[in-house]
Amino acid sequence: MAIFFSLPLRGQLSIESDTVKINEVVISRNKVNSEPAGYKKAIIDSSVLARYSNRNISDMLSEHTDIFIKSYGMGGTATPSFRGTDANQTLVTWNGININNPMLGQSDLSLFPAGLIDNVQIYFGGASMSLSDGGIAGTINLETLPVWNRKTLISANTETGSFGQYSGLIKVKTGNYKFQTITKAYFQNAENNFRYLNTVMASEPVWQTRTNSQVSQRGFIQELYLRNSNNVASARVWYQSADRNLPSSLLTPPNSGEKQFDESFRTLLNYDIVKGGNNITFTGAWMLNRLNYYNRLASIDSRNLSEILTLKASLENPVGEYSKLKIVLDEQSSVIKSNNYNQNKTRNTATITASIDRKRDRFGTTILIREILDNNTLLVPDFSAGMQFRLTDDLEYYLKANISRNSKIPTMNDMYWVPGGNPELKNEYAYIYELVYEMNQKISDRLNIKYDLSVFRYNIKDMIEWHPGEYSYWTADNIENVNSTGCESSVSLDYAHNNLKASMKADYSLTRAVQEGAKMENVNLAGEQIMYIPENQAKGLFRIGFKNLYSSWAANFTGKRFITVDNSKYLQSYFINNFSTGIKFNLKSSSIDMNFNIDNLFNINYQSIAYYPLPGRSYFLKILFQIVK
Amino acid sequence: MKNLIKTFILLLLVASCTKSPVDQNSQNLTYSFGGGVFLVNEGNFRAGNGSVSFYSYDSSKIYNDLFYKANGRPLGDVPNSIAIKGDKAYIVVNNSGKIEIADQATLESKGTITGLNSPRNISFINDYKAYVSSLYSDSVAILNLSDNSISGYINLRRSSESIAVAGNKAFISYWTEGKEIMVINTLNDKVVDSIEVGIEPESMAFDKYGMLWVLCNGGWARQNFAELVEINTVTNKVEKTIEFPTKEASPTCLKTDGAGQTLYYIDNGVRQMDIAATGLPNAAFIIPETGQYFYKIGINPANSDILVTDAVDFVQQGNLLLYSSDGKLISKMQAGIIPGSMFFKIKITSSTN
Repeated sequence: MAIFFSLPLRGQLSIESDTVKINEVVISRNKVNSEPAGYKKAIIDSSVLARYSNRNISDMLSEHTDIFIKSYGMGGTATPSFRGTDANQTLVTWNGININNPMLGQSDLSLFPAGLIDNVQIYFGGASMSLSDGGIAGTINLETLPVWNRKTLISANTETGSFGQYSGLIKVKTGNYKFQTITKAYFQNAENNFRYLNTVMASEPVWQTRTNSQVSQRGFIQELYLRNSNNVASARVWYQSADRNLPSSLLTPPNSGEKQFDESFRTLLNYDIVKGGNNITFTGAWMLNRLNYYNRLASIDSRNLSEILTLKASLENPVGEYSKLKIVLDEQSSVIKSNNYNQNKTRNTATITASIDRKRDRFGTTILIREILDNNTLLVPDFSAGMQFRLTDDLEYYLKANISRNSKIPTMNDMYWVPGGNPELKNEYAYIYELVYEMNQKISDRLNIKYDLSVFRYNIKDMIEWHPGEYSYWTADNIENVNSTGCESSVSLDYAHNNLKASMKADYSLTRAVQEGAKMENVNLAGEQIMYIPENQAKGLFRIGFKNLYSSWAANFTGKRFITVDNSKYLQSYFINNFSTGIKFNLKSSSIDMNFNIDNLFNINYQSIAYYPLPGRSYFLKILFQIVK
Repeated sequence: MKNLIKTFILLLLVASCTKSPVDQNSQNLTYSFGGGVFLVNEGNFRAGNGSVSFYSYDSSKIYNDLFYKANGRPLGDVPNSIAIKGDKAYIVVNNSGKIEIADQATLESKGTITGLNSPRNISFINDYKAYVSSLYSDSVAILNLSDNSISGYINLRRSSESIAVAGNKAFISYWTEGKEIMVINTLNDKVVDSIEVGIEPESMAFDKYGMLWVLCNGGWARQNFAELVEINTVTNKVEKTIEFPTKEASPTCLKTDGAGQTLYYIDNGVRQMDIAATGLPNAAFIIPETGQYFYKIGINPANSDILVTDAVDFVQQGNLLLYSSDGKLISKMQAGIIPGSMFFKIKITSSTN
């Protein structure tokens, strides 16, 4: 029975999910879903993802998690910041395999359509090390999964909205209990020609229309799954491209002709074996990332291609009655071809991660150690230790604590970009401390409450920063230390009675991320908040469904963010409200779901990056048609 | 319950009030009249945090962020230089492709010239005409100062940086990857000559004999030796070339004192050299302390005080360092982010950028 980790199909709980309501199980590889004792992990399930099917992952994370998304606006780059850290300290994985661009060491989340993904898991801090290749800040794992049944599902949706936005998504799933094929394809186009109030170009504010902001995205995922009593084999292919005009800052003329073309082709082969209580998994992945940037005004034509081959094997083996040993071997080879490097550059890293997880009665402990061989150099080992304690036998009240040392290899750009790349860079590393309290209690047959409170501290050392060098260009060095301290709190209530379902969720996070180190010559910057890290964030979500009608209201408060290191200038805080309502008609073997959204309901003028305006009130109409046979 | 709903709606309405998304912790400082030096703080590329400061000799104080305080809006992205003509200050904002024209006494905006392609420096030809160099385009823009418009372009077929005007000639350096000084007849705005110099002529200055000194920094990759070149502005011929001793030398920001007798530049510190010297100075005259990054210099034309901008780490606010003519530190003042080029209000000269 240990072969498959089973959980209810989360779509069943959804009010407006496009996932079929069938009493089945989702099969997932053990290594992704196994939860080591003592760590914090959050899951964004398919019911939430369904609401964002025609949007990208960054929109969803921005509304539903404490991760701060730095966004250049619609169609522009959107990068994550966990708990006061940099985007390149966050790992983004696809079914546990690193898909960060090795040149930048980060992912642009605006390129991941939520409709292609079945499940998003967020590993905070040391928890990410259980995926073998964890990020210092944390890991965002995007999962695509099969549903084992004999049903055939065809769904198609289309959305149209303000500012010339239209998109479409088709999913076809068929198979039986031994074989499944899933195909998903999407497109998304937008003019992004929204109106905004320009308060900086002249003494009086002026309404202007955003230009050079068009975006066109395409992509598909094909998944094949095969299983017998002991094994599951899978093959997945994911292609996507995005052709974008990059809008300029409010302070620069809109005629720079900036463009970016991103293209990714990802393949993933996986083979799971369960034998005698052991779970053995082999994974092979080959990925190609193309990123071309063009700036007509500055005569820049930057062409970058990276290829990554990943081979991974993991073994999970019970040790005694209560413990489990897990060993993961991970080999990654990267080749970069860029006209910004002197020559093609390669990197080989081999990682071995060993962990033992013990859960007995109300206690649980995890010990993990990881060693990395980077181009024939053995690095200082990383480690993590976690423990948890269930406060009572009959209630799900947990106290968790963990301490970790995690490191990050410099990005290829940090090492080889011309000019300024520094091949002598050391790893960044961090000591991470976390305390978590979690509870999940059923108040009555109709009402359930969940609550969690986390306190964290990251001491990040040898952070890489680009600074003016000996000559007249900037160079990368390990010169910065950053401490980030904060807390996160979340409470949610779920109510269900007869045809009425309602849920309410509220989140708050406080993050103090400050710089420490050598650069205190001029101003005492110690204690000043790091740029673009909001100290306060709060989110609220209310959803209600009655029979085939549903509505939701999401409110998002983001505190002020400083845009200078001495905290003399800042972006104003903003409070954004989004409203959604819809109706679902269930026919014999099909359904139609019509959904209407208003984003930025109160037409707030706000910015995530200084001088890059974000759209005011916008409207979206989505129609989903689904057949199940 | 009704009160609760009313309060909630009120909060939403308050939150939706329109205000500028960018704000700052302003300090109320009164701009000082009198003699001093304008300082352009470039700020970070695409961050829009450049500014203008003024160091007042009257009060011995620096006044920062003057344009924002006078006009309630940011100056733009990467202001590169400032020059004064009459009662107006012309601030060249490179990545915003514009020139902000302001009252030089108050810095209140008097107009904006937009549509420029990556402008770098402005040089006044006469009361009605100015030239503006460009990093990315092949042309120098001609400004009509009467109506603040672009009246035309001079096609150099190469980018341009520093502009020096002598009589009816304008000498314009082809900086990025170039090695020429283009000569323009300012009466008809035509290219009349070009003078080959060293790699990447970055800055220029006139001496007391009207000779034009050109500092060629050898290129960012240090593939060539930097050179100091003396040009006869009458014959357009190179009179003297002094090669720097190593390729690692990275000299920038050539200036002369008010008398035109001494040259100054930055090369691991501030160096000074008499125009009659046959070789380069062996050592720096003013040496940066640990943590300092000497970025630009200005020489007070009246008393030869040396003003040095310290960009520190190019992220935090930099400093303006005031040295006496013999190199003694008089004062250190906090300026804006990446303090760069200066313009002295003490004695207005329009001959050199």
